[in-house]
Order: sequence, then C-alpha cells, then structure tokens
Amino acid sequence: MSVAVQPSAKVYAGSEARVATRSAWHAYVAVAAATFVLVGIYWDISWHMSIGRDTFWTPAHLLIQAGGLVAGLSSGFVALKTTFAGTDAEKAATVRFWGFRAPLGAWICIWGCLAMLTSAPFDNWWHDAYGLDVKIISPPHAILALGIFSIVVGALLLTLSEQNRADEEHRPRFAWMLALVGGMFIMNYALFLTEYGERRMMHSGWFYGLTAAAFPFGLASMARAIKLKWAATAAAAFYTGIMLALMWIIGFFPATPKLGPIFQHVTHMITLPFPLLIIVPAIGIDVVMQRLDGKLPDWKLAPILSATFLGLFIAVQWPFASFLMTPAARNRFFNAENYVYWMTPTYEALQNHFDLPAHGVWPFPVHIVIALLLGTVFSFLGLSRGTWMRKVRR
Amino acid sequence: MKVRSILLPIALFVGLSAHVGSPDVVFDGNAGPYPVRAIVRPPMVVPGVAEVIIQAEASDVARVNVRPVFWRAGVKGAPAGDDAVRVAGEKSLYTGKLWLMSRGAYSVYVTVSGARGAGTAIVPVASLATGRLALSKPLAGILVVLGAVLFVGLVTIVRAASGDALLEPGAQPTRQSKRRARIAGLVATPLLALLVLGGAQWWSSVDGDYERTMYRPPAVDPSIHGDTLDLRVHDTAAFHALFAPVIPDHGKMMHLFLIDAGSHARFGHFHPDEIDSLHFRTALAGWPKGKYKLFGDIVLANGLSQTVTTTIDWPGDTSTAPSLLGDDSWWPTCCKDAARPSRPALLGAGYTMTWTGDSNVTARQPADLRFEVKDEKGQIAHLLPYLGMAAHAVVLSADDSVFVHLHPMGTVSASAQQAFAARDRGDTTDSGRLRLSAESTSMPMPMQASIDGHLSFPYEFPKPGRYRIWVQVRAPASQVLTAAFDIDVR
Repeated sequence: MSVAVQPSAKVYAGSEARVATRSAWHAYVAVAAATFVLVGIYWDISWHMSIGRDTFWTPAHLLIQAGGLVAGLSSGFVALKTTFAGTDAEKAATVRFWGFRAPLGAWICIWGCLAMLTSAPFDNWWHDAYGLDVKIISPPHAILALGIFSIVVGALLLTLSEQNRADEEHRPRFAWMLALVGGMFIMNYALFLTEYGERRMMHSGWFYGLTAAAFPFGLASMARAIKLKWAATAAAAFYTGIMLALMWIIGFFPATPKLGPIFQHVTHMITLPFPLLIIVPAIGIDVVMQRLDGKLPDWKLAPILSATFLGLFIAVQWPFASFLMTPAARNRFFNAENYVYWMTPTYEALQNHFDLPAHGVWPFPVHIVIALLLGTVFSFLGLSRGTWMRKVRR
Repeated sequence: MKVRSILLPIALFVGLSAHVGSPDVVFDGNAGPYPVRAIVRPPMVVPGVAEVIIQAEASDVARVNVRPVFWRAGVKGAPAGDDAVRVAGEKSLYTGKLWLMSRGAYSVYVTVSGARGAGTAIVPVASLATGRLALSKPLAGILVVLGAVLFVGLVTIVRAASGDALLEPGAQPTRQSKRRARIAGLVATPLLALLVLGGAQWWSSVDGDYERTMYRPPAVDPSIHGDTLDLRVHDTAAFHALFAPVIPDHGKMMHLFLIDAGSHARFGHFHPDEIDSLHFRTALAGWPKGKYKLFGDIVLANGLSQTVTTTIDWPGDTSTAPSLLGDDSWWPTCCKDAARPSRPALLGAGYTMTWTGDSNVTARQPADLRFEVKDEKGQIAHLLPYLGMAAHAVVLSADDSVFVHLHPMGTVSASAQQAFAARDRGDTTDSGRLRLSAESTSMPMPMQASIDGHLSFPYEFPKPGRYRIWVQVRAPASQVLTAAFDIDVR
C-alpha cells in the first residue's frame, strides 16, 4: 500500500483530542449498526425456529440489511468527506486505501457491507440451484457471516481508535462502548456455537473444549485493550443482558409455523436458550489480568487465563445445565422448552437427558486437558490481539 | 381455458417425476360442489416454492385456499393453508405459492369455499430435486468482479492494520511500519487465497452431493423368456425413503406401455402381474419383433407415482398379431397412420375419433386435448369405462424425452389421491400401513357406466416439438379402441 506524505505528528498533537470527539459520531453510528445486525440475526433465528417461512423482506432481514447499509454508507461518506473535504487533522487520523482516506474501522465496515451485498445475488442463486436454506452454513451464508463479522470488527476498531486517542474525560465513554461491542463479539461466537451447545451436550468434554476454543480469545483481548477495570466482565454482562432481553421480549410475540411438517404446537416466537454463564469466568479473567498483566509474559499468563476460564465455567455451567433439565426451568424465564416447530417427539425426549458419551470417545479428563490446551492457545492469541488493539490509533 | 391467459415464466427444465420429462401436475375434478382445475408446477429443487394456479368457475366461489400436506406428517402436521390470490381481471382464476420443504410425496389440498359450503380436492405432487441450475455468465462475471474487489480489499486492510493504523495521527510511516505492512500483506495473500480455494472446494463438494442425491427414477431390468417379459424394478440411488409397497392403480399393479423405438409405429398397453414386491411379469404372445421403449407406471402406497423406463429387443415374428389378455390393448389394429388434428382417426369397427380441441398448442400453457368419438352410424358414441376411466391418453414426444399417461382428470393418479385421503382418516393397520384394499383396487368409475363420446384431457406440454398422442376408449362391444394423433407444439 502506498502512503502519501503526511503532515508531521507534532503539528497535530494539540488537535488530536478535538478530532477524536468530532469523528466520534461515526463510531456511535457503527456501533448502532452492529447492534442492528446482531439483534436482526437473533430475530431471524427465532423467526426460523417459530414461523419458518421467510422472504427477503422479513423485519429481521431488513434489520440486518439496514445495519450493514448504515455501517457501509456512513463509512463511505466518511471516506469521501475526509478524502475530498477533510481538514489536515482529520486526514491525519486515517489510513490510505486505494487513494482514499478513512479510519481503518471505516474500511472494514465498507468491506463488510460489500461482502453482505455480494452474498445477496449469490445466495439467491444458491436457493434456486440447491434449495431454500437446505443447510444454514453454506458458501453464500459464509460470505454473509464474514460481512456481518466485519461490521462488528469495524465498529470495534472505530471505537477503539477513539478510546486510544481520547483524553481522560472522554475515554470512559468509548471504553463502555467497546465493552458493548465486546459483548456483541461474545454473542457472535455464542450464536455460532448454538447447534453445538444444546443443553443435552453440556456435560460432555467436547462442549467445554469448544467453549475454551471460542471465548478466552475475546475475553483476554478485551481485558487487555478496553480501558475499564472490569472490561471482560462488562463485555460478558452486555452479552448476557442482550441475550436475556431478546429472549424474554421476542418470546412474548405470538407466532405460528407457516411451513411443515409441524411436530411441535408453536404459539409464540421460540427463542434461543438461556445464555451461557460466561460472565462468571469473565470476572475471573479480569481478576487475573488486574493482578498479573504486565508482570508475567503472555506465554505464562495464557495457561492461567485458560485454567481460570475453564475452572469457573465448568463450576457454574455444569450445575446450571442440570437445573435446565428440571421442570423448574420449563418456563418463560429460563426458556427450557424452546422447541422448534419441526422437532419430532423423539428428538424432544432427548432434550431432557444429557448425551451419553459415544462409544470409543476419549474420557472426560482427556477432553478437559485438550480444552486447557486450546484455552491456552486462544488466550495467548487473545492477549496478542489485545496488545495490537491498544496500539490502534486511526 | 382462461388459464391460458397467465403465463408464469420459470426456467425450463426437463425433470423426471411421476411421468417422464413432464413434472407439472394438472388436475380436473371437484372440490366438494365446485368444479376446479388445479395446475401445480413443482420446483426443481427441494426445499423450493411450487406455483399453483386454480381455476374455479362457479359463480358463488368466495375463497380458494391451498395447503401443502407432506405424506409423513399428514394434515395434522401441515401448516395452515394460504388463500390463493385472484388474478387481476379474471373472475375465476387464482394463483398461489407453496413451500415444499421435504423430499417425497406431497399433496396440495385445494379448498374452495362459497355459498354452498366448502369442499376440498386432493392433488398429489411429487416433491423431488430434479434439476441442476448452471451459473449464468453475467452472474458469474458479477461474482468474480465482486470477489476480486473483496480479496484485494482485504489484503489492503490487513496491510493498513499492520502499518498506518498503528501510527500516531499525523505521524509519518517509518521504514519499520512499512516493512511490517509489507510482511503482513505477503503473509495474508496466500492465506486468503487458500481460504478462497477452500471455499471453492466446499462449493464443489456441495454441488457433488446435490448431484448425487438428485432424484433418479427407479431402474428396471427386463428379461425375456419365450413369450414372457419379466421386469425387475430396483432403486437407483439413495432414495429408499421414497419407496413403499406398490399399490394398484385402476385395479392394476403396473400399466406398461410398449412403443416402437424411433418410429412409434406400434403401441401396446399391458398390465403385468406382480410376482414379487417389485417383480412384474406379462405375456406378449404374438407381439411383433422389434426394438421397443418400455414405460411402466406404478403407484406407491405413500402416494408417489413413478414411471420406470427401459428398452427391449423383442425377438418375435414381424408379421404376427398379438394375442391379448384381459384389459390389454394395442395399436395399430386397423389403420397404420396416425391422424393429424385436421382429420379423424379410424378406430376400427366403424368408429372414428376427431380432434376437436384447439390444434394451436403452446408449450408451458394449459391445453385441453379434446376429442369426439362417433360410432359406425356417425352418431356420438356411447362408451364404456376402460380400466375405470372414461378414457386414457398417452403422450410421447418424438425424441422420447417426454412421456405422460393422462386421464380426463389430468396427470394425477386416483390411487394416490385415495392413499392421501386414507392417510388423513388414519385408516391404517397396526403396523402403520394404509388400509387401501377397499379403495385403490376398485375402479374410479363403475364398469357399466355409459360415457358420452366427448372426451377432454387437461395437460400442459413441457416443451415445444412433435408429439404423438394415443387415445384409448372402450366400445360397447367391449373391445378397446385406440387412435393416434400427431401434433406440433409451439
């Protein structure tokens, strides 16, 4: 990438904070757009679990598309304005991309929007060629997911550069916004793991291995990069809050399946299960980071984070999963009866028992050792990502 | 018909379903007190959206509702139906779309409501993946351009993230930051290329899986022993779930059509005995020597109709005349040439059959194949049912790619309708099998019924070309008379 000659840093030292607050509107818009997209995805999943039939024009789809467009178009506007009408100070807080100038997060939002737009005709053709969403995870959906993920990453980077440039007065505001985006990151992972994290699987080593590969990366990077004392806890709290709010609110709306075969008598929107208790290991990760970050090298810190995550997560999720199997959880609050309309009675019966270990699989302790190793690797990567995130200025 | 006035453009595909190369379903019948015509155009992929066109002529029709019922789930597991929308400017024409989510036997329940109450017609439809869509060049071009922009854009973003983004605002890029960006770009490019290749491999694997599981009609192995022809039907792919025991259709386990390959100069309609579950046998004593295309229609207990096809070299004598059994029939019995719509066909015994429908027929538009049968006195003939139907027609394209067995009720099988009705009543044995003995072995029409010599077959030709149509009726003297017509479809 070619980089144009830029005014020196010295010239702009005084105006940096002013530029930060002036461009903050874009970070707010991008975070709002990412929220639209994530809420839209949750709503869409719920729609498919309850109603089934959809078109491009369902409210959930429109929310996702609107989120993508708002993020992409606002970023495009920022790029054009900064390139052609930006002050020197504004231009200085950007990166150059094919001759245009905008913050890094804006380019990622534009990329995400373009990926989402690309997936639309591809997905349409895919439906005509291979059937309507025969599988949720398909190549066009993967491009859409990449686009959506990029919108969240873009929002995160826009907020991150604001936080990293902001003065003491403005920094907490951006840090809390970052915690919100961090919560959406955790939500992203959790949504992706939905099919592999049914409650009947929560007493298996496989489930804990999967969660150790998914969550420590985000929690460690946030704990290091977000300038809050309880950064990972705050992000996990946002994840839990958003998931609970959506679960309780959407679940109140009436719905009947419009596709068949129907095996469950659905009368209201079916929502995703009670969120994972990520908040407990997140508190533990914050405590470890407060005491040891900077005092130990990352390769020593990573196994401690991994053990903290796994130990606390198993300690709370295991008994909570047992509770979810009881009649006491079969209510709107704990949402243990969220059976999709196509669930056959045989499959429903399976939901109230933990899966027995398949013949020939490794014993549970071996899975936990693997989970610890995975958690260590991803904690280390998360810490590295956190270090990079602390440096992002544009 | 007014149905002609709406042309629903969909991609042309030649699918294989209950018939051969003719996937659209046309039904003429009654929904309670209301006469209806239903056309169902199933999608070529599953899950997919079927197009439904309903014509309900009665003046008191207030509402037409269509509902997809999957065999395994029955009416209890079917979603609520959708009201079909009246076509603008038409009094009796309605359209709707139905989502067929699973592979196998479906039935579209057409419920018509009006001043005389409500009535439902059951229209069996096969929901099968029959086609494979190619990526058009313009779309491929768009995707390649967008993909290239995304790829290069992502490499640029990775470089910026490792270089400029980490500099203080206004700071000049250093040699170190430039180097870092360059290395990041160099590492990212092959990794992303690998990702794209992995995506392409994924796509290719999905495509391969799809092609492997596409519907293929069951294969049939013929064997000839003297005057006996044995047919053994077997599965061709992983579609065991589709199969169920064969049930009688018009009282016959199989309707077998032998047609002279290439010239279509000979036509036989036989009814083999079922020796074992999928083993059929018929005698063809005296059947002339030659190469024949075989089309065997069977109906399964789950409401699916299937046509099995094969080719045989029959070793008989060229000059002999076949000796027929029971309801078997053949053509030509008297006159070798097929008629054109402009002149009557001679049926023998003094009977004639004249094409009275519109001879300008267009593909993918509903057509009424209308005929008039006159007796030796030139009067409209009084006919008897042939295998429980007023008449049978077989349509075959010149290239053998389209074959369909029609009745005045259209392309659907009466036995399949009855199977669905029995399924809905829960009329099953302890083992879950349908109790069909009382229904599907019986004929839709009593044998002694007198039928007016005006015949009409609703149909929709799937593609342009030349077709031969054999029409079969039973005269009062009990002999089966067959006429053949050639028609060019635009």
